[in-house]
Amino acid sequence: MKIETKFNQLKKEGRKAFIAYFPFGFPKISYSNDIFLALQDAGVDIIELGFPFSDPLADGPIIQKASVTALEQNISINSFFANIRKIKKEIKIPVVVMSYYNPIFKYKVGSFFQRLRENEIRGTILVDLPFEESGNYINAAEKSGIDPIFFITPVTAAKRMKKIAKGAKGFIYYISTTGITGPRSLQHKDIASHIKRIKEISNTPVCVGFGIHNNQQVKKISSISDGVIVGSEIVKFISQNYKKKNFLKRLKNHVRKLRS
Amino acid sequence: MPHPNQKGYFGEFGGKFIPETLSFCLKELENSYRNIKKDKNFKNEFKSLLNQYAGRPTPLYYARPLSNYLGMKVYIKREDLLHTGAHKINNALGQALLAKFMGKKRIIAETGAGQHGVATATAATLLGIKCEVYMGQEDMQRQKANVFRMRILGAKVIPVKTGSKTLKDACNQAFRDWVTNVSGTYYLLGSAVGPHPYPKIVRDFQTVIGKEAKRQILQAEGKLPDYLVACVGGGSNAIGFFHPFYKKTKVKFIGVEAAGFGLGGLSAASLVKGSLGVFQGSKSYVLQNKNGQIKNAHSIAPGLDYPGVGPEHSFYKSIKRAEYKAVSDKQALEGFNLLSRLEGIIPALEPAHAVYYLKKLAKSAKGKTVILCLSGRGDKDLDIVRKSVILSPKGEGSHSS
Repeated sequence: MKIETKFNQLKKEGRKAFIAYFPFGFPKISYSNDIFLALQDAGVDIIELGFPFSDPLADGPIIQKASVTALEQNISINSFFANIRKIKKEIKIPVVVMSYYNPIFKYKVGSFFQRLRENEIRGTILVDLPFEESGNYINAAEKSGIDPIFFITPVTAAKRMKKIAKGAKGFIYYISTTGITGPRSLQHKDIASHIKRIKEISNTPVCVGFGIHNNQQVKKISSISDGVIVGSEIVKFISQNYKKKNFLKRLKNHVRKLRS
Repeated sequence: MPHPNQKGYFGEFGGKFIPETLSFCLKELENSYRNIKKDKNFKNEFKSLLNQYAGRPTPLYYARPLSNYLGMKVYIKREDLLHTGAHKINNALGQALLAKFMGKKRIIAETGAGQHGVATATAATLLGIKCEVYMGQEDMQRQKANVFRMRILGAKVIPVKTGSKTLKDACNQAFRDWVTNVSGTYYLLGSAVGPHPYPKIVRDFQTVIGKEAKRQILQAEGKLPDYLVACVGGGSNAIGFFHPFYKKTKVKFIGVEAAGFGLGGLSAASLVKGSLGVFQGSKSYVLQNKNGQIKNAHSIAPGLDYPGVGPEHSFYKSIKRAEYKAVSDKQALEGFNLLSRLEGIIPALEPAHAVYYLKKLAKSAKGKTVILCLSGRGDKDLDIVRKSVILSPKGEGSHSS
């Protein structure tokens, strides 16, 4: 399913998107597809599948630690795609890949988008590839019909925001506060006023990520945006529960509670 | 064409590969630096700090015993004589002054060997700005004296326990701090690496090395040297030394990287052994595996123990303006001994790599004139040298002479 289709569907249903992030290969490669399907079952609207990087400089301790664990298994872009291909027929929601630029640069941007297309992955988010460095990347994305998703932050200047919003596809990833990923309290008023400004110049859905870690925040932020992205909270839950009995059931329940 | 261009590129190297939040910080830094560079007050104050406080100009010393031993004319640019013991103070004073002019209340820095941390703590204290330094836990063990010095100077040293627990992780952590504290904090990056405009700013503040050396060698010899030799980790002392000679194409540049346990094993030789990648803000050579994950580096010299290198060096390599060589831990210790015993100068382990390379160069450059940039002194490394036997996995690199 395309990201745009998903948002149209949500609009019709009068719902907001609940987007879940988890890194591939954590705690082990063999868990990733099960986690994916459990999240889908729990009603997640879009999955942001992380491809871990050795130096995640925008991530907090929870995702840093998970990345280290995943990388101990010597994962590659090829093993990433080979794995997701196994459940291709079962995937009913849009998938976007989130990573840092170097693994993709090393793999070659063109080949990467070809693989995304073959595997029906709908979007990409690269944390350290800002707008002005992404000429080739945007071209390759366009050619393969994949949405390159960009960030806007509380400190993005108005002129820059316009440029980013103008080229935005899929959704705009609004970063709730300055800082790295991980749980924290949020200033809803500030977020609301920023989103209002983005909405004035763009029709692309705006989803909010960074810091969102409980049901109350999900509700509040959803009410002022088109959706929320929850990452660290899910990764933390996985790391604390994957050894327990009925792990997948627990995960589903946890996510259902988060998005209820 | 001036380097870097407006987008921060040296040829195809450099750029600004950073999380969106930092665009704001880097833009502010770029604008402030552009304005301040032309500001008379800034220029005068910086110059006076370098001369009155740091001890510039540093001597260009004709090393007679070493010259006799090698059969070349060797001059040594004595950055080791600067206040705090290394060239790092040039950049730390420049950037701390920039931070002050920008009205910043807090300076953060990363450090490997601790020399940049000490220099930053020193400059921040002098200018009355609060200072916090990120340092890998392993480096804190290796460079205890520098940790203590920073604390004496009133800086807070924050241990970094993630990843390799060395310089690259300290750098990640400093970026994370900056992403969080975007408006009041100045990130004082210590080498000519990272996103634009850092490679340019750090180079500019370090070019005092090359400018002085040029004037001094002309005075001493009446002509330019045949070779410039400097060690390269991130590459700030080397680029500051080379850059003023850039257009003098008869002057050959040699950058010496750390081969660590040897080029087959763990090293820090990004230019010699690495490949093109995007790491910590810029496109440059980097040590990475086939999946684009950054490798841990290793060098006996903590200041070279970094898997990346400044983009301007990658550019120099690509246009063949400079040659890059690698020297192992064991050889660096030999260089360390050589300079200590012949000249009575104990070098830091970083430039000890360059000292050793002179021995190799001498085979093909008899009678030539060489300037070695002695980027720092060895006081900080005494513990490492004393324990050097156990540092090598096979018991090589024994240090007994």
